Amino acid sequence: MAEPSDPRIVDRSWRTWPSVAVIATVLGGALLGVLIIPVVQGRSAGIDPFTAICRALGILPGSPAVPQIVDRNPPTPVSQVVWTPQVLQILAEARPERGRAKVQEVCAACHGEQGISASAEFPNLAGQSGTAIYKQLNDYHTGSRSNQFMTDVAKALDETTIADVAAYYAGQPMRNPSPSTLADAPEAITHLVEIGDPNRNIPPCAACHRQGAGGPIDAPVLSEQRQEYLTSQLKMFASGQRRNDVYGRMRAIAAKLTDNEINGLAAYYRAGFR
Amino acid sequence: MMEEWPVHNISRLCLAHFWVAFASFLAAAVLGTYQMWVRSPLGAHIGTPGGYYMSVTAHGVIMAYVLSTFFIMGFGYFVAVTALNRPLPGKGWAWAAFVVGVIGVVMAAVTIALGKASVLYTFYPPLTASPWFYVGLVLVVAASWVWCVLMLVAMTAWKRANPGRPVPLAMFATTANAVLWLWTTVGLAVEVLYQVLPVAFGFVQTVDVGLSRTLFSWTLHAIVYFWLIPAYIAFYTMVPRAAGGRLYSDTMGRLTFIFFLIYSLPVGLHHLLMDPEHGNGFKFIQVLLTAFVAAPTVLTIFTIPASLEIAGRLRGGRGVFGWIAALPWDRPMVLAAGLSFVMLGFGGLGGLINMAYGMNAMIHNTAWVTAHFHLIYGGTSIIMYFAIAYEIWPYLTGRQHQSLAPLRWQLWLWFVGMMTMTLPWHWLGLQGQWRRVANFNYDNPIIASWGPLVTLSLAGGLLLLLSALWFVRNLVVLHRSVLPAPVRSLYALAVDPPQRLPMALNGFGLWNVLVLVAMLMAYGYPIAQFVIAPSPTAIVHRTE
Repeated sequence: MAEPSDPRIVDRSWRTWPSVAVIATVLGGALLGVLIIPVVQGRSAGIDPFTAICRALGILPGSPAVPQIVDRNPPTPVSQVVWTPQVLQILAEARPERGRAKVQEVCAACHGEQGISASAEFPNLAGQSGTAIYKQLNDYHTGSRSNQFMTDVAKALDETTIADVAAYYAGQPMRNPSPSTLADAPEAITHLVEIGDPNRNIPPCAACHRQGAGGPIDAPVLSEQRQEYLTSQLKMFASGQRRNDVYGRMRAIAAKLTDNEINGLAAYYRAGFR
Repeated sequence: MMEEWPVHNISRLCLAHFWVAFASFLAAAVLGTYQMWVRSPLGAHIGTPGGYYMSVTAHGVIMAYVLSTFFIMGFGYFVAVTALNRPLPGKGWAWAAFVVGVIGVVMAAVTIALGKASVLYTFYPPLTASPWFYVGLVLVVAASWVWCVLMLVAMTAWKRANPGRPVPLAMFATTANAVLWLWTTVGLAVEVLYQVLPVAFGFVQTVDVGLSRTLFSWTLHAIVYFWLIPAYIAFYTMVPRAAGGRLYSDTMGRLTFIFFLIYSLPVGLHHLLMDPEHGNGFKFIQVLLTAFVAAPTVLTIFTIPASLEIAGRLRGGRGVFGWIAALPWDRPMVLAAGLSFVMLGFGGLGGLINMAYGMNAMIHNTAWVTAHFHLIYGGTSIIMYFAIAYEIWPYLTGRQHQSLAPLRWQLWLWFVGMMTMTLPWHWLGLQGQWRRVANFNYDNPIIASWGPLVTLSLAGGLLLLLSALWFVRNLVVLHRSVLPAPVRSLYALAVDPPQRLPMALNGFGLWNVLVLVAMLMAYGYPIAQFVIAPSPTAIVHRTE
């Protein structure tokens, strides 16, 4: 017969009571958090107990205390491009040499075989980000963006070809920048590029458009772009004529820019190393 | 006493760890001051956002992973030898781990300095840094795991040699921290090895952000207790002795460290209260468990002042409060404990707001949170790291401080600096000042109205930098001191020293089982849901 002071008895109660206390605490929390509170909150929000409990567990979406808002007017996306793992895989597996054949056949007439465009109204594509080219071609293909030449061209391309063409142009080197375009930009323009204008809610251009910058992965690189092309695109964003920018980012920004700023920025990005 | 301790055997090991910790601390303190400067109206036009985030990453990585880990490892080796009065088992392993850890720090530092790792110390997938940044941090953690094993081996070997005797409290607490750290790093290790590294090496292009945030939350709360426990070890085992008294209760100390082990782990979801990927029920469970983290602090607020009261009355203090004035506040350890308690009071009350589901919504992602963790970690914990360093450096070097006045000044400066920096910062958070932002537009009238308080905060930051410099100066001066170290014991005796303890208070077997049970209940489904019903993954954003 063990005495109450027997170490084994002391040890046993030290094992039992802390275990009971810890497990009871967690179970008590579960009882309150998963059962009682959701049911009570659900009752006042008009949610049946089963749904409320499932929501508290995270099996059903939404809060057990708030009725789920039903969206009767789902928004129409401005672009059909979704960066799913499948799309990224297609881009990763794109074949530039197949893209070259298509470029020679279709694109080179305006954009140049090396991606240096034939005329100032067509954008340069040399060294452009592959995801940017992919998104724009896809938007032309689906009608999210339209252009008298590009719409028909893009409608004839399938997704793999689009990816191949994007990979081909992305792999073309940018030109050696011409010294004549490397002149210093006005300070106000450089400031807009690097810092933006917080008072007008204009973020810095470089935050998204510099090579390797943050922001959406489909943001194009602007360095060495055609000045006339950039001016016309910014004006089309400002007027709402072009609207394939997700969340209306570029429409919001371009609408706040003055004509002088649009011209200055387009001239800034004509140069290399931007 | 010194002669009996084999401390000279490991003094080089401990000093190597401490100097890595404190040298990098000094660099991080400079960066922290720079960040306060460019956030304020005085420096609002200096630098670029890229430079700011690089600085924040370096500051956070050093303070959170390098200073803490290396200090705690060095302190653990010291405690294992001095509290157990035995040589350190596996000293070669300890040196090997040190070298691996330093290599890891260098890898992380180089990638940050090259601008390839501006992801902050909390990583934030789908932001992705150079893989070598993560590999470097994995090496630091791997080094700390070696330390954990050595602490467990040291305690087990002592218990085998002293059957039935209570493990000295300092070693019990250090081992509790090692056990806690092993549990803590599981979340981070799974996130980095299973999610982040495959992304960083480019094997996959998307990452499940909900899962990575959940795994990081596993680590994110317990890690702050890993940082805090050395302060508590000093409270329980060094402060009563330094004050000239005894520890009021050895059992309270053991319970405190056990509470830390159990209730710091199944609580991390309170960092995700505003995240959509978890049900309210599991958030509630973990918030409730978070409330129990207050338990060890309440035990400590009772036990340590009670121990100090014993010391104060032994020194002739009378009346209800007279014992406070009678305490030897000129001793750095006692002074630091007092200042640390004040900061713990403010920081702890702020923490209650962070953990409360409803109130958290007001301060979530505001400067309040940044202010809170600076006050608790930078204030409560780090001031005790200073005091511990001042206390044990003489044992490691065999030299004594020539004067305690510079030590006291440094501690006061740290306290005043930390309060001046963090109290206005809290208030700014309540005004809605956001965190993780590189620059503020002080032309905006609302932001301009924050200007004076941000500037006051910066003044606190400058005092902290001055104090950090002074701290390192004090240690350098000690290395040149000609006074021999005193011969006296370091650790406090309890009023009623335990002769025999229940097994539960002398080891961690039971508590590990309870941690496992609590973790399964609190984190089982929240993690399993990502496997049962995978959510859409996010595109990786490479910062290189």
